[in-house]
Amino acid sequence: MQLASQLSLEFRRAGDASVVYARGDIDLSTLAKAAAALDAAREGAATLLLDLRRVDFMDTSGLRLVIAEQQRAAANSYRFAVVLGSRKVQRLFEIAGFAADDELFVESPTAFAGGGD
Amino acid sequence: MSTGAEGDRIGLLASIDEVATGTVLLGETVARLLEFVVPVFADVATLDTISPTGAFHRIGSRVEGPGREDLEKGLLRRRPVPEAPVGLPAALASGESQLIERVTDEHLRAISADDADFELLRALELRSVLDVPLVARGRIVGALACGVGTSGRSYGAEDLLFAEVLSGRIALALDNAGLSAAISGLEQRFETTLTNLAEAVIVRDASAQIVFANAAAARLLGLASVDELTAAAPGEVMALFDVFDEGGRRLALADLPSAIVARGEPAEPLLVRNVIRATGEQRWLLHKATPVFEADGRLSLVVSVIEDLTEVKRAELAQRLLAEAGNALSSSLDYRQTLQQVAELTVPGLADWCAVLMRGDDGELEQVAVAGAGGRVLAVSVNPAGEEKLIDGVMTVPLAIAGHTPIGVLSLAMTASGREFDEADLALARELGHRAATAIENARLYAERSLIAATLQRSLLPPELPRVPGFRLAGFYHAAGEQNEVGGDFYDAFEVPGGWMVVVGDVAGRGAEAAALTSLSRYTLRTAGRLVGDPIAALEQLNDALREGPALSLVSVCCALLRTAAGGASADVVLAGHPPLVHLRGGRPEPVGVFAPFLGAYERAAWTAVTVAIDPGDQLVLYTDGVIDTVGVEERFGEERLMDALRDAASAADAVARIERAVSGFADGPQVDDTAVIVVERLAGG
Repeated sequence: MQLASQLSLEFRRAGDASVVYARGDIDLSTLAKAAAALDAAREGAATLLLDLRRVDFMDTSGLRLVIAEQQRAAANSYRFAVVLGSRKVQRLFEIAGFAADDELFVESPTAFAGGGD
Repeated sequence: MSTGAEGDRIGLLASIDEVATGTVLLGETVARLLEFVVPVFADVATLDTISPTGAFHRIGSRVEGPGREDLEKGLLRRRPVPEAPVGLPAALASGESQLIERVTDEHLRAISADDADFELLRALELRSVLDVPLVARGRIVGALACGVGTSGRSYGAEDLLFAEVLSGRIALALDNAGLSAAISGLEQRFETTLTNLAEAVIVRDASAQIVFANAAAARLLGLASVDELTAAAPGEVMALFDVFDEGGRRLALADLPSAIVARGEPAEPLLVRNVIRATGEQRWLLHKATPVFEADGRLSLVVSVIEDLTEVKRAELAQRLLAEAGNALSSSLDYRQTLQQVAELTVPGLADWCAVLMRGDDGELEQVAVAGAGGRVLAVSVNPAGEEKLIDGVMTVPLAIAGHTPIGVLSLAMTASGREFDEADLALARELGHRAATAIENARLYAERSLIAATLQRSLLPPELPRVPGFRLAGFYHAAGEQNEVGGDFYDAFEVPGGWMVVVGDVAGRGAEAAALTSLSRYTLRTAGRLVGDPIAALEQLNDALREGPALSLVSVCCALLRTAAGGASADVVLAGHPPLVHLRGGRPEPVGVFAPFLGAYERAAWTAVTVAIDPGDQLVLYTDGVIDTVGVEERFGEERLMDALRDAASAADAVARIERAVSGFADGPQVDDTAVIVVERLAGG
């Protein structure tokens, strides 16, 4: 029997920077949970980071979430970035036409916080 | 009192106050109180208390002078003659102090029970007597009787005033000594604290006789006054009601907590349905009982507190009934069967009998469900117009959605239980009728929508892949989830200026919106492709169309433009947010395409065409991510497995079959995403 996709999310804030740590799978079944975590983290944040290093799998639902957040950040003047993880997740972004050096990506949450200003 | 010095009297009050604030025992208190009264204020004194039931207790007597002990014993045994117009009986009856300044034999006769009693009273040589009720916390709890004679003193009006002050202090002293609690205090406390309490309180003595009840109790039990309760013999009150437990079992007085604790057994609070026989009014009552014991361990009283949970219970019943009815109504599209369940849910909580009648095609009402009364058909008043009615144990409400013609009626009746409906029951029935009607309408709409969905989905797929000269096409499409959840993936193949365009696409999301996007995508690509014949221009058209929408709409597409010329065949491959096309060249799979953004993500993006030559026997495999995202035991299917499965595929049909086989063999559990595959094979000599 197939196990349902699991996704756990953790959200930390330092000053006006929020980081959402995702762990597990981001797909149609866990999308709402991930979206809710971003909503909570975004509140009052000048910079928002989605850490996907512990994400094993992500499908186009997850990509859609990231692209929506990217556009929201551009429209509302906050900074949004993603820390990539597994090869599979990198491949997904690659397929979606993101260059490896796209400004959406940062190496780690600390690098992001340092470059926040 | 002529001989009483003022100082003595003040000292007397002080002494009594001392007793009042002390911690002496009851018997001692009475003895000491009388010691202060006699001889300072009287030659003879007695102290009486009256229990809540009116029982008279002489708790002390004191006589000054010769023959004192016999006289005291005689007085202690005396009981006042109830109907006497003077003295102590009159004081108790009227609550007013009595003064007889000059005692005559006539007076003594009037208050004597018999000759012996008369002689006893005469032996006291009384000149004047005072009889003063003892009032504590607003109630007569006893009386103080004082007499003078042997000392030569007599009483006047001012003595009466003093006696009243004295009796107040004595009452207080007795109260403090716990006497009132032991004898009459229960009623005092109830009267002062419970009379106006919202909870119903009933106190029974050891013989189960009701000795106290508050107004709330009378109200709750539908009686006009508290007196009706206290005047009734044990068991008479119970006969006014039909009492049932939550399971509908009829209960007797012996089953109630008050009777259980009276037997010396512990009793949990008991929730009962109390139906007043005379009116049919029903209430949910929570009975709690606590026994009160005498010092020697005998049962003294049973205090019952009855809480009215009718509203709570009704709300709970309504909530449960509506929730269960909702479940039944949504669980099946066979509304006859679910209406039967709804009817059964109402019995016995809401009614004894319930029937549902539906209007048939001929407009006649037909009974489709019945519950209660052994399923018999009852001749209830059914208003053909489906109007709401509430008469004598029968309710009829329409099955109707607001503003619509009723599609039937819900009839409820009371039979054996003798209960009556009230407005709250009617409101619940109305809501039930409304929900049933809504569910039936939804079931009808659902059937229609399923049909629409199936039709729409069919329209999204090409009924048949076209014949493309020089090529052979094969494909499969598998929609995940319910039939009405159209959406997700699409594929298409159509002729354009200069060739044929083959497309697979994936729309993010599911349901109606996804279906609409799928439709938009497929027809935009088809139209733009036919007009311009250029895959990139077609994708840009779709990108613009998606950007016009209010919400972020993302579509991934893999598009191949097949072209044949004298020199051979080729394909221009364009990807937008889509995994690569697989080119089977001589049986070896190779990914083709330049990765680029989703359609709908950005205003402008660079989509790039890659041109590959297609030799005879070569195949192009276009697929959606449902294939590579298929969930296995350990991981997802992935691009590698797809490549491996396709290696050396003999034909388009073989390639499709290999993918299906590999995916279904790999999948662990039901498919979660749509899957679309289209394979283009260049025929030999094509």
